[in-house]
Amino acid sequence: MKIALLKKVKNHDSAMNLSLNKGKISRLSLMIFLWLGTAAMAFAQKQVTGKVIAAADNAVLPGVTVVVKGTNTGTSTDASGNYSIELPAGQDVLTFTFIGYTAQDVAVGNRTTINVTLSEDAKALEEVVVVGYGTQRREEITAAVANITQEEFNQSGARNPMDLVRGKVAGLDVVRSSSNPNTGVALQIRGITSITGGQAPLVVIDGIPGGNLDLLQQDDIESISVLKDGSAAAIYGTRANGGVILVTTKKGKTGTASFEYNTYFRKEYVRNQPDFMTAEEYRAKIAEGVIDAENDYGSTTDAYDALINHSNLSQYHNLALSGGGENTTYRASLYYQNLQGIAKENGRQQFGGRLSVNQTGLQDRLTAQINLATNFNRANLLGGGGWEGSLYRNPTLSFYNPDGSYFFEQTSTNELARLAQETSRRQQQTSSFDAKLSYEIVSGLQASIFGALQRNNYIDGAYQQLNSEASLESTDVPVGSGYAERYTYLRNDYTVEPTIQFDRTIANDHHINAVGGYSYQYSVYEDFRAYNSGFVNDIFEENNLGAGNQLQEGKAGMESSKEDNTLIAFFGRVNYSFADKYMLSLILRHEGSSRFGANNKWGNFPAASVGWNIDKESFMESISFINSLKLRAGYGVTGNQDIANYSSLVTLGGGGVYINPDGAYRQTYGPNRNPNPDLRWEKKKELNIGIDYSVLENRISGSIDVFKRRTEDLLYNYTSQLPPFVRETIYTNVGAISNKGIEIALNVVPVQTKDFTWNIGFIGSHATNKADDLSNDIYKVEAITEGDIGGYGALGQAFRIEEGGKIGNFYGKRFAGFDENGKWLFYNRNNEAVPFDQINNSTDPAVSDLAVIGNAIPKYLASLTNDFKYKNLSLRVFMRGRFGYDILNTMDLSYGNQVALPNNLLNSAFTKNAALKDTYQYSDYYLESGSFVKLDEITLGYNFNLNTPFIRNLRVYATGANLATFTKYTGNDPDYVLTTGIGNEINGRRLGIDVRDPYPNTRSFLIGLNVGF
Amino acid sequence: MKHIKKALKIAALALPLMVTNACTDLDENIYSQLATNNFYNNREEVLSAVLRPYTHANAWVTPGQDGWWRLNELSADQLAWPVKGRHGQDGGRWLRLHYHTWTPDDDFVWGAWRLMWWGLGLCTDPIQSLEARSAATMGITEDEKAAYISELKLLRAFHYLKIMDLYGNIPTVTAVGDPVSPPTQPRTEVFNFIEKEILDNINSAPVLSQSMLGRMSQAGAYAMLVELYLNAETWTGTARWDDCIAAADKLISGQAGGLNGSAALDPNITDTFKPSNYESKEILFSIAYEFQRANFTPQWPGDFYHFQQRFIYGGGRNGNDGVVVIPGVYSTFADNDMRKTEWMLEGPQYRYDDPTQPVIASGGNEYDGQPLVFVDNIRKNKTLQPGQDPESLPSDMTQGEENSGVRFNKYKLGALEDPDYNGTDWAVYRLSWIYFAKAEALMRKNGGNATSEAVALINQVKQRAFTAEDWASVQYTTGTLSLDELLNERGREFIFEGFRRQDLIRFGKFTTTSWWDHKPSDPTKQLYPIPRRQTTLNENLAQNPGYN
Repeated sequence: MKIALLKKVKNHDSAMNLSLNKGKISRLSLMIFLWLGTAAMAFAQKQVTGKVIAAADNAVLPGVTVVVKGTNTGTSTDASGNYSIELPAGQDVLTFTFIGYTAQDVAVGNRTTINVTLSEDAKALEEVVVVGYGTQRREEITAAVANITQEEFNQSGARNPMDLVRGKVAGLDVVRSSSNPNTGVALQIRGITSITGGQAPLVVIDGIPGGNLDLLQQDDIESISVLKDGSAAAIYGTRANGGVILVTTKKGKTGTASFEYNTYFRKEYVRNQPDFMTAEEYRAKIAEGVIDAENDYGSTTDAYDALINHSNLSQYHNLALSGGGENTTYRASLYYQNLQGIAKENGRQQFGGRLSVNQTGLQDRLTAQINLATNFNRANLLGGGGWEGSLYRNPTLSFYNPDGSYFFEQTSTNELARLAQETSRRQQQTSSFDAKLSYEIVSGLQASIFGALQRNNYIDGAYQQLNSEASLESTDVPVGSGYAERYTYLRNDYTVEPTIQFDRTIANDHHINAVGGYSYQYSVYEDFRAYNSGFVNDIFEENNLGAGNQLQEGKAGMESSKEDNTLIAFFGRVNYSFADKYMLSLILRHEGSSRFGANNKWGNFPAASVGWNIDKESFMESISFINSLKLRAGYGVTGNQDIANYSSLVTLGGGGVYINPDGAYRQTYGPNRNPNPDLRWEKKKELNIGIDYSVLENRISGSIDVFKRRTEDLLYNYTSQLPPFVRETIYTNVGAISNKGIEIALNVVPVQTKDFTWNIGFIGSHATNKADDLSNDIYKVEAITEGDIGGYGALGQAFRIEEGGKIGNFYGKRFAGFDENGKWLFYNRNNEAVPFDQINNSTDPAVSDLAVIGNAIPKYLASLTNDFKYKNLSLRVFMRGRFGYDILNTMDLSYGNQVALPNNLLNSAFTKNAALKDTYQYSDYYLESGSFVKLDEITLGYNFNLNTPFIRNLRVYATGANLATFTKYTGNDPDYVLTTGIGNEINGRRLGIDVRDPYPNTRSFLIGLNVGF
Repeated sequence: MKHIKKALKIAALALPLMVTNACTDLDENIYSQLATNNFYNNREEVLSAVLRPYTHANAWVTPGQDGWWRLNELSADQLAWPVKGRHGQDGGRWLRLHYHTWTPDDDFVWGAWRLMWWGLGLCTDPIQSLEARSAATMGITEDEKAAYISELKLLRAFHYLKIMDLYGNIPTVTAVGDPVSPPTQPRTEVFNFIEKEILDNINSAPVLSQSMLGRMSQAGAYAMLVELYLNAETWTGTARWDDCIAAADKLISGQAGGLNGSAALDPNITDTFKPSNYESKEILFSIAYEFQRANFTPQWPGDFYHFQQRFIYGGGRNGNDGVVVIPGVYSTFADNDMRKTEWMLEGPQYRYDDPTQPVIASGGNEYDGQPLVFVDNIRKNKTLQPGQDPESLPSDMTQGEENSGVRFNKYKLGALEDPDYNGTDWAVYRLSWIYFAKAEALMRKNGGNATSEAVALINQVKQRAFTAEDWASVQYTTGTLSLDELLNERGREFIFEGFRRQDLIRFGKFTTTSWWDHKPSDPTKQLYPIPRRQTTLNENLAQNPGYN
């Protein structure tokens, strides 16, 4: 959020009204200029008129000071942004200045109309950044905080709000698994901080910790702040190991009531289909004798293409109204979004709204802020899968029998029939309600109470028709009797946070800002599932579960569960700055979580950071090319409590039913966990040192951060002594991992003229990690293996983490060639090529023939944004890449091998892998460099300058997204391969392991409109 | 600075006011799980804990997971899981079992250890809980409490027996978590511990009856004693043939009860393995399944069944096309031995729903679209060139196709319409096995020569597999029943039942002989290694010889 926006005044009836609400400086300067302007008229040679608008939204800017350069002659724009000025003889340049905006000089030449677009000054002193439980002036920030405002957002149409900042924050990796509108993104800041716990940053929306991203629409977001290091994030203590993402939504502004309407339409096209044989190619292989002739079923089918929704069209509409008076401001928005996937029966339709009201009273001592947001989502979950089965399906096999009915057989699924004969839908409502009341006790001291409720509930329904394949091939219930299911889920998150804030500048130079508070969060969910079969027709679907007869037969089912957890914290932060030169920030959070063991419920999370604005020093005055220079250093401790509820307790788990003496089978119960009353947080200690700089008239600016972080008390399911324990693992805190790296953000303006601006934005990051410790006195492992490769042949785990080694190391056999029969040969530890059964698979490094064969974590992340503006035309070219890592090409492993004939296969089975005549093996043969550069977005926009009081701003734009990927990787698009986490599966993906079931990679084109009136 | 102090003072005063108990309460509320400390309050809860280890035993005592069964059968001379086309490579695990090249790192070595000790813990936990509570608070009688504890201790002894069978020298632990790092006991000590546990508890356990279906009773306990004493010479160096015979007699005489009246041999070779085998007279201890009402079903189809198996028997379950009979074993059955055709599948397979039609293979493997024919060889017949002798094709663990090998058909799931479909119980001990054990003890006592009593015992079991007219020519006499022949007949009678490795070891053949793709290994392979992940954790565990 930028305070500058609050201060800009757009809407007074006349320029003279400005004095009512504006700060002293602008009022005074305006009056001087007005007076001087009048005085100068006597010497006028030429009348110049024009209009001043804001670059961000084309809104007219009233009150802009217009001065003839080098003179005292000046005026200011009126409520419509228009000005008129007499240009004295011999003068040619007008200077336009407005608080919060970059001043602009314009040469008049022969023109009499000069329209000017002013850009917000990113370095404006007033820029404030949300840092959690308050804001800080950019200049005073002492931690690694990135702030992304709306102008910088990606414009390709967000399926998830985090799509907006992909590639925009150095060190933040946002990974999409696909363009499926029903899947989210994986987020990770500065590398892996946990093996079994969550990696994702804490999302805070308008102060609600754990905010639900479904509640955010792209045009309702004002800014997104990312607290990257521990020295800022420690204020969120136990949930801040993954960093914190603070989202601020737009609020109303005092002034004229205004409307904003934003819309886009988007169409997607498949960008590259995996190179499996076409029916023609398959028949050619039959002709060659590679495949038996009986495998030609006579048809020609592209089963993959049959699942593609070629007529997809997504659209988005958002109408916002905002405004306010002296004591009240409001903003309300309504939206509708229909996201259609590239897959058939795969979409998400949502609508909802967001309302925000702010009011002050009691002589401006009381401030109340209320936000309401809700999202209604209707998702079609049926389609979007089945790609693997369609790819390896025999391409000569039809979907239909000769009589036109669907063709079914046991070992495959007729996906086309499935889409026609089944349903799977979700109806969801997500809402949040929050309110904050603040009272100023004495000047600078404010007490507040914040309360929030977030509620997420959905009801799922699924049905399989009587004649569907699933129903006809059912063996548990009567054949052809259908299947219906209902699932409901309800989750409520409550937050109450009383705080006290203190903000005072003492003796001019001492600025103190402090906050202290208490936080109580309670989260509870409940769910219920029921299903039945044995229906006589397809009329009821899942709307009358009792109509099936399998409840009586014991083949219907129901399940329900409920869990909750509580987080309680006491926290405080003191920021002190002296003369804007020296800053100090101290944070302490004392927090407890119900999830941890009885002996370790509470933890302390301290942080300290300092900053030095070097440019404010007197010795810097002579160095004019440096506009600003700040040195920052911080250290902070954060925690991770993102683990399952009840992890420390021994609970009795159902062990399945068994026969009782009366002949009935009943549930059995036994301990399902070893107890760990000492279970506690994963704790991260992080040191961050950074520089913020701006040089050469702010033409070059940016920041550099270096960090070193170490997560201790790492949680892992350690093998426990068995015997004597019941279970073989205990969830306990043992190990430590560390990350270090550097992040660079650079902004360069190579060209800045009246008509043409070229802005280059670069961000890059480099990080390395190490598993420092995996053992302690009690629990020891030689190594941790992760990453189930899956698929045929039970190939085991892809990764091995060893003490002192890197995380993400692929560990396996080293390919040595094929023997004369096409059998695999691998190198043993003596570098002799041997058959696979002579390879020693021991985990003992002293004898094992296995080795580190790659690493799945990118060494470098980078993106490059080029923004060009020529008059009203703007062009953005955005490129993004990950570098220096490997991907396991499981698609080639599984389907580039003739052993799987007569299934359809990748053509690589006959080309690249033609020499292979053996079954599946995991080795470095299938590891490939994942490095890529993606042309992620090109946006061409045009701002119309309409000389009408009805339209304030109008912009149309066209965006092409995911246009091209430049890579040597031969599998699917490497961008969709997960590069975060290691122990957790996210959206069905695992770190570094490509999928065999790839959702189509799409190129999309979007046309959008922003209009304000 | 005054203002700061004031602010801090207010904060310091205000915060404690907010801190009432409710504001710092982090106790967990459990809604849909059960907490250990609030259980055993009534008979149903007690029973649900007593029965927990049985559903778990399904995991390790029957085929389907890395447990006692797989480690005993896939390392022996009858069954293997060869690579078949693109299936079955599985990291070489099945090859290492077949070749005896396993290491302390192998996941099946750990898998069996993990499952079996886990099951043992599921016995110890309720034993301790029951012992710690009075019968009254649990709503049961003192006799019931004693019977439950005896049953659980016998079931725990069963776990120890089978863990010892695989790993030999192991710790003996009787309390959960205590001691944290229990030391290895020599196998003789473990043997003595198991024997004492059984003898101490056998009389207070219930005799076998239909209401003890699927549970450890006196019958299962005597069967354990038979197994213990039969292998005593191998396991401790001291033969216990008389004890073996005495324990067997308890069962043969029916003193330990029976599932359906007094225990007796089933009259034919199918009753013990049919879907309604809860009616069997000879099963002494089984894992009980029931699909129609309870949906608790056998796990072994995964290991045994072909991808298209359901068409063969008319049920709904297929498998991973895994375990097959090693070439050469099928032909050790005489053609008139009904066990050959009744218990195995060989040759062209026909549809259950239309026996005139062949089962067609599908699913994209070698014989996709062609009739499914199980062949008694393991080689790439698909690659046979015209005029080539099929015997010239290599036959080893890596040369299989989807139809390679004769298949399991001993236990039957039944067809979908069978009221007991998919609920066939798995017999852990059956009376035929006791007959064989007693016969062997008699022979070994007699210098390895058959006695007429031994011959009679074996013949009673074998006779069921032959027609009356064939029987005269195939029955054993004291002249034909040598120890080697006894081992062969054991192989035919107990194929697929999990005892083959134990038998080969007892007969001194496990590491000294060759079969199909297997060559003699080292004598230390008669024990599996202690999993490395436990020896690194518990320094009191001793690794078995040959694995350091």
